[in-house]
Amino acid sequence: MKNRLKELIESLIFVSSEPLTLEKIKGVLEEFSETEIEQAIQDLLESYTSNERGIQITLSAGGYLFSTRPEFDAYIRRLLQTEKRSRLSRAALETLSAIAYNQPITLAEISAIRGVDSTHTLKVLLQKKLVKIVGRKKSPGKPLIYRTTDRFLTHFGLNNIKDLPSQEEISKIMEEETPVEE
Amino acid sequence: MDVRQSYQVNLEFFQGPLDLLLFLIKKQKIDIHDIPIATITKEYLEYLHQKDRINLDREAEFLLMAALLIYIKSQMLLPEEKPELEEDPRQRLVDRLLDFQKIKALSFLLGEKEEEELKKWKRIYIPSTHPDEEEELEDISLFDLAEAFFLLMKRKEKEDVHLIRGKEYTVEEKMREIISLLEDKGYLDFFEYFYNHTSLQESFVSFFALLELIKARIVLAVQETLFQSIKVWLQKKPRTSFIR
Repeated sequence: MKNRLKELIESLIFVSSEPLTLEKIKGVLEEFSETEIEQAIQDLLESYTSNERGIQITLSAGGYLFSTRPEFDAYIRRLLQTEKRSRLSRAALETLSAIAYNQPITLAEISAIRGVDSTHTLKVLLQKKLVKIVGRKKSPGKPLIYRTTDRFLTHFGLNNIKDLPSQEEISKIMEEETPVEE
Repeated sequence: MDVRQSYQVNLEFFQGPLDLLLFLIKKQKIDIHDIPIATITKEYLEYLHQKDRINLDREAEFLLMAALLIYIKSQMLLPEEKPELEEDPRQRLVDRLLDFQKIKALSFLLGEKEEEELKKWKRIYIPSTHPDEEEELEDISLFDLAEAFFLLMKRKEKEDVHLIRGKEYTVEEKMREIISLLEDKGYLDFFEYFYNHTSLQESFVSFFALLELIKARIVLAVQETLFQSIKVWLQKKPRTSFIR
């Protein structure tokens, strides 16, 4: 099995219901050394980077995951007979940004940052499971506090919360004159 | 339509008062750290005048900002008693604007990432969170749940109960909290969950929330053996689907 470790890991990722973490792979493949496994994953990822494949393996929310290549979106939608998938509203994106960069955060704090009451938007984000309740703040009224979820990471193709746009990227956008979309 | 060129931008376009203010500052090419409050207030109010179609809630938020602007202007007009101690009345607003500007830039970047990500289709199998050894577990009745609840209440009664009024828990809120917990941990130990409650009221509301969730078939409650703790799971049917 040793010489087929790469394929073996590929099959594990294929059947996984959620992004498959390195720890989990190591846990399952206990008879292999960590370096062997890491090397095999490296080889596997490389074999997918060539443009000869319609699918790719991406690192998402801390684990490996199969996904199609973005350029084939239109044809896949034709097959599945679905419309272009709808994007989040500006209000939702703004609220998520406020949460992502200030978490854990309360509803009142979110609303203060945005200057707009965010009750409804937060409700939508909770329903979409992009944010979750993580407890209550030990302050008057014990307000609920919120964090972003792993699904949030997957939704934006991030591996880790640290992969959020950096201060430099933000400053660059701000200098370019804040985009006035649509 | 390029909004930067056209003056007549509907108020609906803006996410809120900060958004509008930022837009006006950009449009006038004003230095954000040195805002001419009089000019910007005038501009701002002009926008509010074409408020024909914004709803009352939003209008209130916009009006609040107008009031703040006028307040800041009045602060600046007043002779300063201890000039070296006073901070610029505009400072807090500027800080908020800068923070908001950052969040706005961020949401723009996130939007771009989202667009790219939505083009990728992921094969994600959503498994049953229900344990495999399902058959060995007993589906419990409402009666069992109630019995367990009273047992817990008995234990709680022995504790020092101090009643503090004014703390309200709503069933809806609790339901959401329970779902969140379940999504996080996969399952919930009914007994353990109740131990962590601080008040009788909270326990009651949680219990009702749990019943509601069971009724709506969102969760499943099972008991491993008689008199053991009851475990709660999210009820999901195994299915393969594409998610974003």
